[in-house]
Amino acid sequence: MNLVFYGGGDDNDNSELNSECLKLVNKKSPRITYIPSCSYDSEWHFKKFVDHFQKHKVTQFIHFPIDVPFDKILLSEVLKSDLIHLSGGNTYYFLKHLRKSGMAKLLKEFVKRGGVLTGLSAGGIIMTPIITTASFPAWDRDENEEKIKNHKSLDLVSFEFFPHYVNSRRYDQVLVNYSKKSKRPVYATPDGSGIILKEDEITFFGKNYAFYKGKKFILSQHLT
Amino acid sequence: MTAKKAKIKQTYKSQTYPKFKTVNGNHPLKAIGDDYSVEYKVRKRHGGKVAAFNFDLAKEIGLIPQGHPNQMNPDLEASILDTFAIIIINEFDQMNNRKFPEEDIKKHTYMATRYLQLQHPTKLGKTSGDGRSIWNGQVKHKGRSWDISSCGTGATRLSPATHTKNKFFESGDPTISYGCGYSEIDEGMAALFFSEILHANNVGTERVLGLIEFEKGYSVNIRVHENLMRPSHIFNHLKQGNYDTLSSLVSHYIDTQEKNKTWSKVPKKETDRLDFFLDRQSEVFAKMAADFEDEYIFCWLDWDGDNILMDGSIIDYGSVRQFGLYHSEYRYDDVERFSTSIIEQKSKARYIVQTFAQIVDYLKSKEKKTIKEFTNDKCLKNFDEKFIQYKDEKILYKVGFSKKHSDFLLKKDLKLVQKFRKAFSYFEMAKSKKGVEKVADGINRSAIFCMRDILRELPQLYLTRNEFITQDEFIEIIKSNYATKKDLEDTAYRKKQLSDFQKYYWELVRKTAKGMRQSESKVLLDVSIRSSIVNKYDRVTGDSITTIVDRLMKKRPKINSEELYEIMKEFTQFQTLDPDQDRSTSSEERRPSKFMTGMFKIVREYREGL
Repeated sequence: MNLVFYGGGDDNDNSELNSECLKLVNKKSPRITYIPSCSYDSEWHFKKFVDHFQKHKVTQFIHFPIDVPFDKILLSEVLKSDLIHLSGGNTYYFLKHLRKSGMAKLLKEFVKRGGVLTGLSAGGIIMTPIITTASFPAWDRDENEEKIKNHKSLDLVSFEFFPHYVNSRRYDQVLVNYSKKSKRPVYATPDGSGIILKEDEITFFGKNYAFYKGKKFILSQHLT
Repeated sequence: MTAKKAKIKQTYKSQTYPKFKTVNGNHPLKAIGDDYSVEYKVRKRHGGKVAAFNFDLAKEIGLIPQGHPNQMNPDLEASILDTFAIIIINEFDQMNNRKFPEEDIKKHTYMATRYLQLQHPTKLGKTSGDGRSIWNGQVKHKGRSWDISSCGTGATRLSPATHTKNKFFESGDPTISYGCGYSEIDEGMAALFFSEILHANNVGTERVLGLIEFEKGYSVNIRVHENLMRPSHIFNHLKQGNYDTLSSLVSHYIDTQEKNKTWSKVPKKETDRLDFFLDRQSEVFAKMAADFEDEYIFCWLDWDGDNILMDGSIIDYGSVRQFGLYHSEYRYDDVERFSTSIIEQKSKARYIVQTFAQIVDYLKSKEKKTIKEFTNDKCLKNFDEKFIQYKDEKILYKVGFSKKHSDFLLKKDLKLVQKFRKAFSYFEMAKSKKGVEKVADGINRSAIFCMRDILRELPQLYLTRNEFITQDEFIEIIKSNYATKKDLEDTAYRKKQLSDFQKYYWELVRKTAKGMRQSESKVLLDVSIRSSIVNKYDRVTGDSITTIVDRLMKKRPKINSEELYEIMKEFTQFQTLDPDQDRSTSSEERRPSKFMTGMFKIVREYREGL
């Protein structure tokens, strides 16, 4: 299984992490699909995404919004991608449309086949078993306007993911409290940091933290 | 007073808006006198409130300072109402000796302008023109000028109703709908949304500065453009043989275009200026006709030169639409007649240019010849050439080529561009075998293919496959909801066109790659990114605007003018499909508000419609 979790930030923050993703793909001319969390103004985000990966000599990109109808023809090409990136945005809206479009299931199969799946913020949360971490902290959470009751997600890893983490007391308080209730460890990742899963090996890129059973841990195995 | 209101009162610093005072009915065209307009005294119309205000436009024309927050305040609202909440003292008022408080009557008169309208029986323009509008004046800012007019300011003697019923009407007379001189808030709202979207997408249009709402849904809708003159403003004087007025109006138009720097290198000598005018007008109308076709904009053009401005910009959104597909056989049913169709707009635009040629000749020779004598005027050749040129440029833009790539292709292999355009046009023009059907407000024979979809997907598929897609795949992508099984049946000719489409598309990419010394995949990638913006899945149509405005009207009591402005701005941004725009984005995708989401669903639902 090849997965990359981005804590957040812009392309400059994530430049090195992007390079790590491409190493995972290990192909001279990889095909990358960009799945936006919402089609709203996703063309512009796609443009920025392409601008960045073009610097790494990637030339094959597909923009694939899943909250608008799509045809099987482009879908079949998407599923042949080497890397699929799930963008940031509203986690509830994203999950709703991944399920509704049938993409949630297809993405799991894609990962099983060895495809690299990456996710930034909401996209990263989507890859975990449950999206509860999108609902806090109160000052920076996603609104569940879609009124999604089933928060189960792709379940590709055994941890939960908390993006945009800021190493501060108020964040820690919220995460410590949550981790007391959760069965799984919660990995908290600041902007510019990330988590790389290659087969069964996990690597923490930049500073990462874990919250488990009410305690906070600093995660080692840094790449940088 | 609530605590919140008290706080606002404490922190609010009184402001003045002196520029509004300059909008007082005066306009350079007043000097022409009765030939150009009927002048009315106006009075304040009480009971209005500002329903919408276009802060960006107000800043652009200098009515409010550049750094002004996009927030209404009591002084700004008072200035807007004092300037624009007005109603004419019309013939009915005078005949019935109605008295109005002296302090309510404005100092200057305001013009209701005369212009030709085909629905008026005499067809000379002596009795037609602004039936429910007046010109508020002209504002100048940073070396440019803008005309401002308002719709819904009372019944004038130039309305069709006055002429056909041979009587003057009281403003607001409920027995005569259109002729009552009032306009309605939903009309204004539709114009506000539609015009801002088209403006953002570089289509020339009047813009809405604000809407003032009165009881019963009536409103004054304030419109702005650099030059609000229509061809019909001068065509009436040609018909009537008013040489002096015609000459003054044409001069005014040329002068304004020059002063506003819309036109440069305008000759000094009078006859040269007229030739220059004719050249520009044929180009302007050729571009307009090409744009309307390519953007699927339905604007009821006719020989009278109404519904359009002299510079080819749209005015009067009553019957303007943007189709999702090329519904080129749609006709609006105006009870007494059917409108022209999109495809006929070109010939109407061409006829308008022919009339410009007749005008220029008349002004030069002082002898009025018949329009037929200009059937082969060189300006029409210019029009035809420019029309084709704009069509060629536009097809490359729609495919997703950048200006640089497009210029290269047009220069190096124009024939290839035109061969591709022909294949493109075959699919764009394809219509349903169901034939002409009645639609809500007219008739239509539906288009069956969505060209935006194929232009958006094709470069991505080529990029990943590096080969043609199959015929079945092509049709699967391009078919719209209007297409029936029968419509999609294979024919030898369609197969040929389909093959040509792909062949020429690839050739365009290859030629560009070679000429620009780039790889084909790099060119395809650039095309793909631009095309995803130009051919966005969700594009607004006339039906979607109408439905959105209906929904907005239901929500409106809870939405103030600032919120409405924000909604309009967000919606316009969502619909700005210009890939050359420099739009900053956050690192994560924004999800629109719940209300906006509802609007987008409407856009999606009607994306292929009228």
